[in-house]
Amino acid sequence: MRDRIFAPSRMLIYLVVWLIATAWLVPFVVVVLNSLRTAEEIAQTSMIGWPKQWAWSNYVTAWAEFCVAQTCAGIRPYMLNSAIVTIPATIISTMLGAVAGYAVSLWRFRGDQWIYGIVTLGIFLPQQMRLLPWTIVLRDVGLINTLTGLVVIHTIQGLSFTTLFCRNYYVAIPPELMRAARIDGAGFFRIFWRIVLPLSPPILIVTVIWQFTHIWNEFLYGVTFTTGQQQPVTAALIALSAAIADIPQHGVQSAAVMIAALPTLLIYVLGGRYFVRGLTAGAVK
Amino acid sequence: MNNISRRSMLAGAAGLFVAPHLTRAQAAKPRLTVISQWSAGSDGAAITALGKKFEEKGGTWQHSPVPGFTTEMMNKLRAQIMAGDPPACSQLKGPEIAAWSKIAPTVDLDALVAAAGYEQVVAPDLARLHKPAGKWISLPLQIYSTNMLFLSKRAMDKAKADKIPVTWADFNTLAQKMKEGGVAHPIANGGTRPDDGQKFEAALAGISPVAYRAAIMTLDESALKGPEVKAAFAQVRKIADWMDPNTAAQHYSTNLQRFVAGDMGMMIQGGWAQGVLLNAGFKLDDFIIAPGPTDNTKPVFLLNADAFIFWQRKEPDLQAGQTLMAQLVMDPAIQTMYSQITGSIPVRSDVDLSGAGWSDGQRQTAAALKEAVANNQAVLSVAHNMAQENGMTAAMIDVITEYVKNKAITPDQAVVRLSDAVEGAR
Repeated sequence: MRDRIFAPSRMLIYLVVWLIATAWLVPFVVVVLNSLRTAEEIAQTSMIGWPKQWAWSNYVTAWAEFCVAQTCAGIRPYMLNSAIVTIPATIISTMLGAVAGYAVSLWRFRGDQWIYGIVTLGIFLPQQMRLLPWTIVLRDVGLINTLTGLVVIHTIQGLSFTTLFCRNYYVAIPPELMRAARIDGAGFFRIFWRIVLPLSPPILIVTVIWQFTHIWNEFLYGVTFTTGQQQPVTAALIALSAAIADIPQHGVQSAAVMIAALPTLLIYVLGGRYFVRGLTAGAVK
Repeated sequence: MNNISRRSMLAGAAGLFVAPHLTRAQAAKPRLTVISQWSAGSDGAAITALGKKFEEKGGTWQHSPVPGFTTEMMNKLRAQIMAGDPPACSQLKGPEIAAWSKIAPTVDLDALVAAAGYEQVVAPDLARLHKPAGKWISLPLQIYSTNMLFLSKRAMDKAKADKIPVTWADFNTLAQKMKEGGVAHPIANGGTRPDDGQKFEAALAGISPVAYRAAIMTLDESALKGPEVKAAFAQVRKIADWMDPNTAAQHYSTNLQRFVAGDMGMMIQGGWAQGVLLNAGFKLDDFIIAPGPTDNTKPVFLLNADAFIFWQRKEPDLQAGQTLMAQLVMDPAIQTMYSQITGSIPVRSDVDLSGAGWSDGQRQTAAALKEAVANNQAVLSVAHNMAQENGMTAAMIDVITEYVKNKAITPDQAVVRLSDAVEGAR
């Protein structure tokens, strides 16, 4: 066993993996270091450097103090807005995707493949192309400039991915299991509840990670369909990026980025080990 | 007929019923819904201060900033217009004012502009942008120049030079001296698209403001292929050779430290960069500010101006708010307050900049504008979306950016590429 770890081919693999990991981590390290440097220090020396004095106050400013328009409350209220949109949209789209994926993978009905195809087509439509249609829909249902409107958008758009993920996972469930359940008299929802759902945690965790990250990081719809104090955290982050006549606040900006990334990082840490496993499940069927 | 008269009677009765409410609403406090991209930093502070003034006059200020690039704000504006709820007032600039005014009805501001005597104190090219169909529908608020010249004192020392360059030939001589004196990069630059565009527009307008007007502002075909455009590209090549190539996508302020230290020599930026330098902790005697190089020795001013456009609303409180806002925007005291926060200069040419609160950079910029307007050498910036609509601007900047980065392209080829790009985008 020892021999195999130190075999030249192994060493080479580790070397490459470490190099790639380092390349990926360098920008992150720069952000972490800059989050602890003052804007003045960065401007007077360089974008990359070790903090001369630890500017922990950047985090305080980022969390609760910097101003967006008339409101000086830092990133905090925008984090809350993002949570209000992201959590329900993630849960609802995942649940609906599970039911839809189950329906198109384990039940045969007229046009099932067409429905599956059309739903997943949504993956390939660029965001900008859907902007105007969504404007009309939100206007007509009276949800423009509301967080509920954003939940609706992200739930419906999320269906493309969640259905795809769940369908690919559920096709691996043996048909015998389904047949046995039906002989026992179980219907659509009973089979889902008793057989399919208990098998689902890996794919549901993947779907939740995917949805949560995407909705949390979304910007275009977030700024277009909200107003003033309802904006998501991504809008507050962009607000911090410099105007042409300003010195960029790299310190506070980096601190705000660190704080804003915490929820998605947390989700990855908690569910990450399922992520690759779930993504590839059913891929070779 | 019978039917109609009955309807009009009903309407009349309803009118009687509504009338007292209407008069009360007209007397109600002015309210203004505003969309802008100014959210944080000095831009955010300035518009918030404007909002405070609006509230002091008894109004209700409802500002929804859309942080990010102009496209995001345009998306928001489009969504609001489609939803039948345009903001009473929104930030918009340059030829986009004319383009957007065709999408939704705007407010005729002629009477208010006349009452304030605003037209007489606004640069003529600028005024034209804000009255696309002959009527004022939008008001410019502040002006930036894009071609002020900043010289690093330490780089000047290295070059053993003390004369401020006036023409492009002087500029080139100084850059060469700096290079020989050990300045690593005689030109300090950022790597964003407007940065590259600013180099080109400064070159062309400095060589010939007449050619700039014809080629870039009116897109005259023979001017686009003319010798001045070729000379401008040749000048840009020199500038590009003196720049640090490793600044892709960087904000120009990233290199301020190297500029002040004398590793970089000259910077072509707006007058606002003075405020940026001071905020970064550098001193006034670290650098010198002068108007951008100009071959006929009279200042050329490349205009970039922010403005508000006013969208038609039926609500009396919003209409009252629009009137108040228009009056505030044209008020010299408000323009003074605004520019002192952002580092721009006032649109009004009659504001006195000698007092405290103004920087030398702003005074120089304002003086350059006055002289440029007098000599008809104030032109509209293409790098900052003032000369053409977004699509055309993007097509032109694509050519310029590629030229700056790819040294295999000759000035002759660049001229052809630019006129082809203009043809393609027309």
